[in-house]
Amino acid sequence: MNKNQLDEMQTQRKNNIGNQSFLLLMYMLMIDAGLYGFGFRWIDYPANIMIMVTICAGIYLIRLINSNAYVGPSTQNQRTVLRIMLTVGMTVAIAAGIVVLLKHTSFTNTTQLNEMSAPIMFITGAIALIVALVTLVIRRSQ
Amino acid sequence: MGKNLKLKSARAALDMSQKDIADAVGVTRQTINAIENGDYNPTINLCIAICKVLGKTLNDIFWEDDMNE
Repeated sequence: MNKNQLDEMQTQRKNNIGNQSFLLLMYMLMIDAGLYGFGFRWIDYPANIMIMVTICAGIYLIRLINSNAYVGPSTQNQRTVLRIMLTVGMTVAIAAGIVVLLKHTSFTNTTQLNEMSAPIMFITGAIALIVALVTLVIRRSQ
Repeated sequence: MGKNLKLKSARAALDMSQKDIADAVGVTRQTINAIENGDYNPTINLCIAICKVLGKTLNDIFWEDDMNE
């Protein structure tokens, strides 16, 4: 069996948690859209979307780690704690960065918030692409 | 799904821990524990791998009859 990836039970749990997190995100977006339809705006766009996505991603990550579906069998003995701590640290850093960026923008000024959303999305996408490329290169080299 | 006591006894007969079997077949210890407790239904590939490690057949470990369910 391939020890470099999740085993079959971990894969099933990961898929299950991913499906539930996706549905949670969809329901939250629908509730938000419904509230907006009734004229209730709790936070201006795009902060509401970013907050909901961050919440769902956080729940997804915490549930993955809690159900032991985050790291595969080969890394269980080696650097599990280090890897989890690194991931949690990076998550907290990214969340703090988003909070700082949002704090510097005014929720009452929608235009300024919209201007900030573009660099946030660009940076997030660029980091994700770089991580994916580095992972691909490492896998090819192995 | 009840507990798989046959797997547990076969493992104990070889003086192997859940971790030993898990390392041998390439899964986590929690997966072997879930199989023994009847919380997870493994694929046929994993069943075969476990049987090879224990030196048993699929019938010996995973077959459930009316007398032993």
